[in-house]
Amino acid sequence: MDIHSYEKIWLVLAVLLIAGFVSTVTYGATAVGVQMIDDDGGTINANALDEDPRFSNPRVEQVGENHYAAYVVAQQFIFRPDPITVPANSTVTFYVTSPDVIHGFEVVGTNANTMVVPGQVSKLTVNVDEPAEYGILCNEYCGSGHHTMEGKLIVKPESEYAQGGSTDRLRHSNPVRRASGTGSPTRRLSSGQLS
Amino acid sequence: MTDEQPVREIGHDEFDPNGTLALILIYFLILVGMWIFMYFVEFLGNELTVIG
Ligand SMILES: [Cu+2]
Repeated sequence: MDIHSYEKIWLVLAVLLIAGFVSTVTYGATAVGVQMIDDDGGTINANALDEDPRFSNPRVEQVGENHYAAYVVAQQFIFRPDPITVPANSTVTFYVTSPDVIHGFEVVGTNANTMVVPGQVSKLTVNVDEPAEYGILCNEYCGSGHHTMEGKLIVKPESEYAQGGSTDRLRHSNPVRRASGTGSPTRRLSSGQLS
Repeated sequence: MTDEQPVREIGHDEFDPNGTLALILIYFLILVGMWIFMYFVEFLGNELTVIG
C-alpha cells in the first residue's frame, strides 16, 4: 500500500495530538492533583441521617491544622448548613448526602461539583484561597422547588473566622441580631434561649 | 478540442496536495490552541478544583 508523504505527516500529527491530550490530562492528575469524585465517601442510611453524627447537625468542623470538614445535607429544597462558612487559605472536605432524592452540589463557577445521591456520601476536597462568596446550587432536577434550591459558600478571612465565623456561632448570633432589631428586650431573651 | 489539450500523467508521489496540507495544518493549530485554552485556562484556572 502506498502512503503519500503528506498523509504520513497528518497521520503523525493526529497521533501527536492524542498523545498531547493524554499527557495534559496526566499532568493535571499528577502535578496539579485533580481528582475524580468516586465512592470514597461510603454509604449511609438515607432514612436515618439524624442518627449519623456527621449529618444530624450539618456543620463545618476543624479536622486538621488547616483542614476543615463541611458536613452538608442537600434536601428538597435547601442545603444545610446555609451558608457554609470556611476560613481562607485552607483545605475543605465536603461530605454531602441527601435524605430524599438525587440532588446536585455545585459551587457555581468552579470545578467543585458533584451529584448527591441518597444512601451515598459524596466526598470532595478543595483548597480555598482568598476570601470570597460563592453560590451553591442544585443541578439535578429534584422536584417542584428545584429552581429555588441554592446555598452559599462563604470564605472568610482567617482573622474573622477565628473570632466566631463558624456556622455554629452564626446560628447563635443570628436570632439575637434579628430580635434586637425589633427593639424588644423580652423577645431578645426568648429567642436567645431558642438557639 | 480535447485532443489538443496536453495530457500529463503523474505518479502517486508526484501529486502534492499543498492546499489540503495547509488546511490540515491550520485545523491542527486551531485544535492545539483550543485544547490549551480549554484545559489550562478554563479548566485548571477554574478554582475551586477537586483535589481529593
Ligand atoms: Cu435539589
